[in-house]
Amino acid sequence: MGIISVENTDRLYWLGRYTERVYSTIKVFADKFDSMIDMDELEYDKFCKSQDIPNIYKSKEDFCQRYCFSLKDENSIFSNLMRAYDNAIVLREEIGSESLSYIQLALYAMNQAAISSAPLIGLQKVTDNIAAFWGMADDDIDESQIRNIIRVGKLIERIDLYARLREDPRKLQREARRLTNRIDKSEIRYSLKKLAHVNYLVQLDEMPYETLIEAIERLVGDES
Amino acid sequence: MISYMDICGKRDRVEDMEIYTGADVVNEQLARYGVKFGIYKNNEFKEQLFPFDMIPRVIDNKEFAYLEKGLKQRVKALNLFIADIYGEKKIIKDKIVPEEFIYAGSGYLPQCEGIVPSKGVYSHISGIDLVQSKDGTWYILEDNLRIPSGASYPMIVRGIERRSAPSLFTGKHIEDNRNYADMLRHTMDYVNCGGHTVILTPGRYNAAYFEHSYLAEKTGAHLVSGHELIVENDHLYFIDYSGRKERVGAVYRRISDEYLDPMSFNEESVIGIPHIFDIYRKGNVALINAPGNGVADDKGIYYFVPKMIKYYLGEEPILNNAPTYLPYYDEDMKYVLDNFDNLVLKDVAEAGGYGVVFGNKMSKEEKEKFIAMLKAEPRRFIAQEVIDFIDIDIMEKGQLLPRKADLRAFVLMAEEPMVWKSGLTRFSRNPDSFIVNSSQGGGFKDTWVLSQ
Repeated sequence: MGIISVENTDRLYWLGRYTERVYSTIKVFADKFDSMIDMDELEYDKFCKSQDIPNIYKSKEDFCQRYCFSLKDENSIFSNLMRAYDNAIVLREEIGSESLSYIQLALYAMNQAAISSAPLIGLQKVTDNIAAFWGMADDDIDESQIRNIIRVGKLIERIDLYARLREDPRKLQREARRLTNRIDKSEIRYSLKKLAHVNYLVQLDEMPYETLIEAIERLVGDES
Repeated sequence: MISYMDICGKRDRVEDMEIYTGADVVNEQLARYGVKFGIYKNNEFKEQLFPFDMIPRVIDNKEFAYLEKGLKQRVKALNLFIADIYGEKKIIKDKIVPEEFIYAGSGYLPQCEGIVPSKGVYSHISGIDLVQSKDGTWYILEDNLRIPSGASYPMIVRGIERRSAPSLFTGKHIEDNRNYADMLRHTMDYVNCGGHTVILTPGRYNAAYFEHSYLAEKTGAHLVSGHELIVENDHLYFIDYSGRKERVGAVYRRISDEYLDPMSFNEESVIGIPHIFDIYRKGNVALINAPGNGVADDKGIYYFVPKMIKYYLGEEPILNNAPTYLPYYDEDMKYVLDNFDNLVLKDVAEAGGYGVVFGNKMSKEEKEKFIAMLKAEPRRFIAQEVIDFIDIDIMEKGQLLPRKADLRAFVLMAEEPMVWKSGLTRFSRNPDSFIVNSSQGGGFKDTWVLSQ
């Protein structure tokens, strides 16, 4: 029918952000987990600092359990997956039952991973389903605006996360380029001035990560 | 009467039945597609998968043709009744239905007086609950003319079954029930007053939210919440992300009358649309189903439906009501008191399997208390003979177990009434219970209507 409400535009954007957050933090967690097995038991403390989340965890085991699977921990991967689900469940008409089913499957996979003796293998199924969701959304959703809003959410989340992890500037430049090419197609409200600022920041020799995080967080919802 | 075994063959072992291997796959797929309903327990919202049993209810084509005829007749009469009540009130003047049964019921809305909806259709989607007794007779148990739900479940499950157990459908001549969305779309378009068609939901935490979103997807209607719609210059508009207003001509509303418009009904409603009722009255938007339909599906009014059929159509009712007594009439009160243990008593204000008590299951004190209440408020209750309706097998832990099952048939009204060639078969999971409602733990089955 080709009409989308403000509320659903917002939900699509956050669906993109939360799916990306879950996908990327599982990948990062897998690296940290590997290191914590027999190299650096306190790796999680650095991780919390980089993510700007409080280190409320008592040990690496506690971190692995609660950061991944506790719904009481608002920063956990599971909590973020629930936020993705909460947005997706009210978007069936926009994204379709087929795409939605992969978010549902990711949720089941998360529940299974929580009781698995090899949680990383379980979490892999979560990322598999999120990747399948993105693929299905790209392939199956007719409205290009809907696909583009999800993608914009993904790219903004990715730039935010990469900046927090102090990733290689080239990776940030690539994602900023993609975002610039995509954002107009989404018809989402954003600030041209702030987008130019993001593009300027990623080109600097000394990457100002904190400033970049601030700039990317303020990009959407403001047309000044 | 025909059963699954009759068309698929009886096997000695459950494991050898065609449905056995498909059952787990189907349930896994239902979970994948989030086929759920919401339930509030201790003030907390929970989503539950709707339990599905693979053994279908089977109705042969002759039997369904008979049901179809009876259902069309009933729904036609019910539509005429609603038009009459909010119009000339001939049925009251002619003393066929006592006026206290109209005006004292909570379903009657004085605000609807004199309104004729688009194309004169009141009950666009009717959910008629039936049971079949052991001698094969079908009885109507209840008419649902407000917001009957449940069609989405058999609709989605059929596609899943066909993928999961294709051989089950080969050569069986089963009517395809996946056309419900097309029928619904046609019904909505027929009354549309110009503009988009939307499905209005109270939101994600409604028990039937899955159905709202699934029907929106399949009909191509737009799923909206009340705050996304606005009445301006006597028309209804949807406001899109850019602030542009798009006219809406038909609203399949899945919120009840009282919450529809705070200016005309419950002023505390935050999910309704202010002034929508005014423009409905002016004929600028279709509301599906029409407000005020509750006047015709009240449990007290049920008793009078066969009389309505004779009165409006001049025909004998094709489908029977369950034998029903109105304690309001002295003669019926006497019968109810004399035969209390053999009857089921229903509070006319309740729904969803609540307010239903069986005379023979009450203690002495409970019975005395109930009879005192019955005498004090005879209009509040109806009494019915307990119909020993048929059991349909369900499969549980590798065993076949008989369970009570009803059928909700869906009748859609456009130019003419159309009966969906399927329905929602609900079953009780408790061996001692006749209550099949999903809110009380019941499950559902597919309903196969044979085409030959």
